[in-house]
Amino acid sequence: MRRAAACALAGFLALLLTGCDAPGFLPYARELENMALIRTMGVDAAPEGAVAVTVSTGARSGTGGEDAVVLSGSAGTISGACLEMQGQGSSYIYYGHVGQLLLGEDLARRGAGPALDYVLRDVEMRLDTELYLVRGTGAGAAIQSAAGAGGSAADRLEAMEEDAGLLAHTMPRTVGDVLERLARSGAAFVPALSLGGEGELEADGYGILKDGALAGWAGEEAAGGINLVLGQVDADVLELEGAALRVVGARTRIRPVFDGDRLTGLALRCRVDANLAEAPGALDLQDPAALERLERALEAREAQRIQAALELSQALDADFLELRIAAELAGPGRTADLGERWSLDALELEVSVEGNILRSYDVSR
Amino acid sequence: MGLFGRKKEEIPPHPREEPRIPLPLSAENVERAFGGSVDFVRRTVELGGGTGLSLTLCYVSGMVKMERVSDYVLRPIAQDEGLARCAGPEALVARMKAGALYNLSAEVRTGTDQAVADLIAGSCLLFVPGAEGVLSLNVGTEEKRSISDPASETVLKGARDAFVESIRTNTSLVRRHLKAPELRITEQIVGRQSLTTVDILSMEGIACPDTVAEVERRMAEIDIDAVLATGNMEEYLIDTIHTAFPLIQYTERPDRFCAGLAEGRVGVLIDGLPLGYLAPGTIGNFLRASQDKSNNWILASVLTALRYFCMLTTLFLPGLYVAVVTFHQEMIPTRLALSIIAAKQDVPFVTVFEVLILLLAFEILQEAGLRLPQSIGQTVSIIGGLVVGTAAVEAKIVSPAVLIVVAIAGIAGYTMPSQELAGALRIWRFLLAVLGSAAGLFGVVAGGAVLAGHLAGIESFGVSYLTPFAANGGAQVEGDTVIRLPLRRVKLRPRFLRTPNRRNQK
Repeated sequence: MRRAAACALAGFLALLLTGCDAPGFLPYARELENMALIRTMGVDAAPEGAVAVTVSTGARSGTGGEDAVVLSGSAGTISGACLEMQGQGSSYIYYGHVGQLLLGEDLARRGAGPALDYVLRDVEMRLDTELYLVRGTGAGAAIQSAAGAGGSAADRLEAMEEDAGLLAHTMPRTVGDVLERLARSGAAFVPALSLGGEGELEADGYGILKDGALAGWAGEEAAGGINLVLGQVDADVLELEGAALRVVGARTRIRPVFDGDRLTGLALRCRVDANLAEAPGALDLQDPAALERLERALEAREAQRIQAALELSQALDADFLELRIAAELAGPGRTADLGERWSLDALELEVSVEGNILRSYDVSR
Repeated sequence: MGLFGRKKEEIPPHPREEPRIPLPLSAENVERAFGGSVDFVRRTVELGGGTGLSLTLCYVSGMVKMERVSDYVLRPIAQDEGLARCAGPEALVARMKAGALYNLSAEVRTGTDQAVADLIAGSCLLFVPGAEGVLSLNVGTEEKRSISDPASETVLKGARDAFVESIRTNTSLVRRHLKAPELRITEQIVGRQSLTTVDILSMEGIACPDTVAEVERRMAEIDIDAVLATGNMEEYLIDTIHTAFPLIQYTERPDRFCAGLAEGRVGVLIDGLPLGYLAPGTIGNFLRASQDKSNNWILASVLTALRYFCMLTTLFLPGLYVAVVTFHQEMIPTRLALSIIAAKQDVPFVTVFEVLILLLAFEILQEAGLRLPQSIGQTVSIIGGLVVGTAAVEAKIVSPAVLIVVAIAGIAGYTMPSQELAGALRIWRFLLAVLGSAAGLFGVVAGGAVLAGHLAGIESFGVSYLTPFAANGGAQVEGDTVIRLPLRRVKLRPRFLRTPNRRNQK
């Protein structure tokens, strides 16, 4: 028994000395410090159907901090471009920590499908990578512009994501979210970025993907409507009649409207809650008339936003708000086979908003 | 010299010689048995009353209390006239045994082996010419360490007495805690050279008779030279030696020992060792601290859960760190990964080498601290842990992240109430770190599975080691291992102890 065990051990040690590679079922070891952790990836359209990929590491802060490293490569596919970049430095370029995927406008118009499919299939990329569309320029240019001077695109986009709730401009969407919506409804909205006057990245509404390609842009008004319909208004501030209202909640119910068995429209009822953040001296919330006047102004403003989002949806014939699914869920008995009869353009969309000003931050009122 | 080490040496037979001293009982032969040892004393005393009868007194110097020899033995022999009037040597021996000598015990020995054993145990032998046998009079010294606080089991709230080296003192401590007459103490002599007294303690009607019999059987089978260390008994009593995990629990606290006996376990006390053993031992026993029953049940439960967490931490953390940093970098949060990269810049060693070196250094420091006197040991720990650790990090020999991981694993190991369990975990964490470096999480998980299989395969006196996490003989047993229920709700003794009387309170 002991001899057999010794023979087995000696055989195992001899196997190690053969110089053969590790068995195929074992993972491949890489030391972390020999890696370049890519934080942001940008994909642009290149001539002749090729793609240009730009990647960036994060800037390292603290003592001995380093600027972000930006690499670029071009090939027929994203995988090919990534392989080309592997040879550009001594470190192994690792995509397991890519947090943001930027798609240039040209590529998005050509089709975002291949880029999303790359994320879906690549062993290192993650489906929870945040997706952005770059409006008016290329993703590579945006990454290059954000890099340097101790900053990086990753830092800027992470800050924007953290601030998204406060600014209520756009909500972040992951590749997984977008793929899911595209598969379910054929359309999805993706946060859009643009380069500001000094070359910094700024939120710029949403880009609308339809059938995998960019179909149009949702500006500030329509983007606000999208946020309202989806209830993503963490702390939007509206300036109405000299007062500042902080929107703290929104809930939209979608109800299908039928004429007989025929679906004729959708009724969207949105309840918006807001707090009075700032008010002119004359405004007294104890006065019902003043409160009602402010609430009506709030309702009109929010209805306008929702209307803008719905009009965009009808104009592009892109159900990025997933109204059909909401209608089906609202009336499962009558809308079971709605998919075949669904035409957003033919529907009458009725929007009603109920505004509620809950309280003031001034306890005396 | 063979291919796989030296050729196995043939082990000669080792028969026990009976009798040990094949000589007839006499003062001369007893002296011969000691072979001129300087502590053997033989003295001739004359019986008082002018009889002219000379008696021979033998004792081992240092083992007897001189005042007792003088007052209990020599004074009556010299002064008791009743002894002088005895008709013949047999009557004289009978009278001395009946109480003319003041010793608490007086026995007539007829065999040389027993007489010599008594002599070594602290008796003196009184040879009466013409009488059959020899009178063995207990005049042993009772020099021993006084009962003190337990050294390795800290007491915050509870009895502060601890076992000492004297087995009789220890049995008396047990008797004082468990005053029920059902406490049974049987005795065996173990060790050909040490002739060590070993007592087996159990509560009749509570302890499983089969377990008691099994302990006695295993004890009787021990035929070694001497019982001088704990290992001399442990390795012979446990079910298997092919494990680093402890299979029998020890304690130096009589209250804890007695709690085990009252629960239905079997205790072993060994003369010369200031601790008691309790069998069977399962993994839950080694993760219970002696303070648990003194603490509030919620606090005790939380602390026990914390110990289980620490057990997993000390076991798996180095291996997981190696696996994740070397193979599964995507599992590390991005900011942490960047911190690790920044900390590891310019460190020339691969991660697994760093971890193994630091684990080894940790063991060396610990061993050095244990072997040195306490004050110097602390200095070594401080110098080793702080100065050398800091210097190694600053010199870029190891990265701070690895230092933190190894330190956390090491400190988590210190929460184990059983040092033996902590030692076993330390051995396995080396193995898991190596497996983690070879195959990543696959290796760590495979190592964990092997460990679970190993633990599930061992038993302590017929009880599965993983009880109550594993079944016993195909039957799942209940138990409150991680959660310490309020004591008033624990109305039954553990089933796995196979106690004849499970109810333990109203």
